[in-house]
Amino acid sequence: MIAYREVSVRYLKGALLALDRVSLGAERGVVTAVVGPNGSGKSSLVRALLGSVPLASGHVEIDGTVTRVLGRSGLARRVAVVAQREEPAFPLSVVDYVSLGRFPRQGAWSPAGVVDLDAVSRAMQAALVDTLALRRTNTLSGGEWQRVRVARALAQETDAVVFDEPTTFLDIAHEMACFELLSAIAHAGRCVLVVSHQLNLVARFADRVVLLSHGQVVADGTPSDVMRGETLERVYEWPLVVSRDPAVGAPTLVPLRKRRSPIA
Amino acid sequence: MSAFLLSVGWRSVLASLALAGVVVACAKTERPRVPAADRDDYDTPIVVAAPAERIVSLNPTSTEILFALGAGSRLVGRSRWDNWPAAARAVPDVGDAMRPSVEQILAVRPTLVVLYASGDNRDAAAALQAAGIRVVALKIDRIADFTRGVLMLGRLSGTDIAARIIVDSVGRSLARVRDAMRNTQRPTVFIHVWDNPLMAIGGGSFLSELVEIAGAKNVYADLSDPSAQVSFEDLLRRAPDAILAGPDAAARLSAEPRWRALGAVRNGKLLTYDTSLVARPSVRLGEAARSLAALFHPERAIP
Amino acid sequence: MTASRLWVVLVAVLLAACVMALMAGAVSIPPAEVWGALIRGDGDPTTLAIVRVVRLPRVVLGALVGAALGVSGAVLQGALRNALAEPYLLGVSGGAAVGAVLAVAGGVVAPALIALSAFGGALLAVGAVLTLAHAAGERGDARVLLMAGVVVGAFANAAIMVVMATASPDTTRNALWWMMGSVAAAGWRDVILLGSVLTLVGGALLHRARQLDVLALGGESAESLGVDVARSGTVFFVLASLLAAATVAAAGLVGFVGLMVPHFARALTGGRHRVVLVAAALVGAALVVGADVVARTSRAPAELPLGAVTALVGVPFFLWRLRRVL
Repeated sequence: MIAYREVSVRYLKGALLALDRVSLGAERGVVTAVVGPNGSGKSSLVRALLGSVPLASGHVEIDGTVTRVLGRSGLARRVAVVAQREEPAFPLSVVDYVSLGRFPRQGAWSPAGVVDLDAVSRAMQAALVDTLALRRTNTLSGGEWQRVRVARALAQETDAVVFDEPTTFLDIAHEMACFELLSAIAHAGRCVLVVSHQLNLVARFADRVVLLSHGQVVADGTPSDVMRGETLERVYEWPLVVSRDPAVGAPTLVPLRKRRSPIA
Repeated sequence: MSAFLLSVGWRSVLASLALAGVVVACAKTERPRVPAADRDDYDTPIVVAAPAERIVSLNPTSTEILFALGAGSRLVGRSRWDNWPAAARAVPDVGDAMRPSVEQILAVRPTLVVLYASGDNRDAAAALQAAGIRVVALKIDRIADFTRGVLMLGRLSGTDIAARIIVDSVGRSLARVRDAMRNTQRPTVFIHVWDNPLMAIGGGSFLSELVEIAGAKNVYADLSDPSAQVSFEDLLRRAPDAILAGPDAAARLSAEPRWRALGAVRNGKLLTYDTSLVARPSVRLGEAARSLAALFHPERAIP
Repeated sequence: MTASRLWVVLVAVLLAACVMALMAGAVSIPPAEVWGALIRGDGDPTTLAIVRVVRLPRVVLGALVGAALGVSGAVLQGALRNALAEPYLLGVSGGAAVGAVLAVAGGVVAPALIALSAFGGALLAVGAVLTLAHAAGERGDARVLLMAGVVVGAFANAAIMVVMATASPDTTRNALWWMMGSVAAAGWRDVILLGSVLTLVGGALLHRARQLDVLALGGESAESLGVDVARSGTVFFVLASLLAAATVAAAGLVGFVGLMVPHFARALTGGRHRVVLVAAALVGAALVVGADVVARTSRAPAELPLGAVTALVGVPFFLWRLRRVL
């Protein structure tokens, strides 16, 4: 559904390319994860999709239509983005906040209709925040805030949802809950694209993994295909070991402590 | 953030200072000044040595007086606001009347400097005195101040006789008008000088005295200051019979709706006076009083 | 407090402030006479004149000024995502002051022309700020706009100081009085002008209030919801500055209202801008009407400048906010 075609992004003239002819696709019903070390271009992917940065080359397609043709509101009706961080300047009630997700369909003026109220309520239930409806956004814990933001994205009722580093600031339980939610959203039929640095969570929940390094795609396939020891060691430049615990059922990555190096 | 506070802070400081200034100005009680003949308006004793040969006068009133005394040829400097009489314009302009440039004054080597006696000029007075120059500060609000000022400047410039003649002549011409206006109906008058904010001329001003001499009554005579800020409501309540204004102001006021709420404006009693004649105390005070009397009582003849 | 009860209370407070303002003044008039003059048009001519020609337009203009400043401040705080933003931020006050001071120094006396000059100066300054920000390449970035506003404001302040240092005392007094803000010379023409601007611009802002909610979420989030942050932000800045410039033309610089009122409005209503803007209008109107009463009566027969009174109210307000942070 989402397709990057030879996308290149350069931030400053003459600087290195943040993304170098990246092509990848994300389909409905599937969790697609993008992983890679810092500086590999992961966040640039999201910005390229939204059009926040100009593309040096290539384009992004949504169901075959180029994003530029869709326009901002067209894009917002098809793809929802949960950004890495968000801090509203002024607190709102949770239900008002989630209702803002209806903006691309409502526009600035029309009053909230039954359709909108319905979508908001369903989104809040799916993200398990319906009990928080009247709480203020500045009184929520980290995990609650994360789920509320997901609820807003769900309220947009888009076919695709993109998550940029959704587990920052979350503890183990909340991390797992977040990915369980992602997975549920995908298997309910939506296209889910996750940018994450959490290799082990990705290995367990993603159906498809794309590995980026220095702005280029180095591997693209199932978690078992991509999560290989030598590939990951090369990309992350750190010794590690990939094991498979039968209880987990997915490759598990364990970084090793550095051997004492002969170089002083 | 500091940029915000800076921009907000400037305005709040300005507003607070303005407020403080207003509070102080209102709180200060104006003691009626008792002019002493041998002290100027900074309360400095006057020492009369030889008549001053090189005089700088930084004030339209004192410049005009010096010319009237015949000492105009000895003026080596005037302020940029001193345009009367015409001969004054030939005198070199040495700067402002308030906070003048001491350097520029010293450059013309005066032996006497006449300043306007406001707080702004104390620094300049001190600096000039330290440089060994005689300084006299005068604030001429009332007719009595004018008389005293003329006599003082006369002594300082060695033109005592001319001074006494002027004082005498002004006194007599004013008396003529006052006598002619005895036993008339006295209309109440509002003297307009400024309306943004609205300023009233109080009893402490020569304008008020002229109006009284000319056979009318200043509606704000109860205020002792030469001028004070008043609210428009208050003016409406005092309901003056007539309004005295300069020609430009009169044209503007007659068109403004809130001024038309005053009976005086509606009844056509918006009287125009010659601002160049009446604007400040001068040797032409008698003429000024006469012109006002003609406005208030056109039916009365003045010998 | 439920929503409808809130509106009732706010409107009631505003009406009470207006009634009190009509009763109070430098001249004491018994309430019954005020009522008679207002409603039935009877009573002696002086009372009629005071109530209808002096006080009534003044109260109405004060309310409009307060409403416009409240709305303008709320819009700017939302669009700039900063609780310290205020209507005069983007060059309005500096530009207006320069316009007014230049007019006064040039010998203009008619208040209407000074107001026009102030309005023109404000628009020029806002244009300069937007142009500067655009040239810097980041039209919608709040920090760039703020810096451009500071630059233009600093230039304006310098220009004012130069003009005032070399001007006659009359010019200085006139300009200073104007800069301290006043509705003393209010006339129906000012009321109609400001009222029209407030209705038009306020309507446009209410129409786009939800966009403001989205903008207040922040750049990336707003974009992901389909809002062109740069363009939308610029539109809000221009509309808010237009309102502020109109109030400046009508009443000079009245500070702190646009800064304080949105805080109350948000605290009372919960954050959605459609509601916040209306609340800001009502609270702002009541505040300025009340401040004008103080300005008129505390030192009768003299009048305090309106801006001085609102500045004084600003001090305890800031202390209150600081206390909550500390």
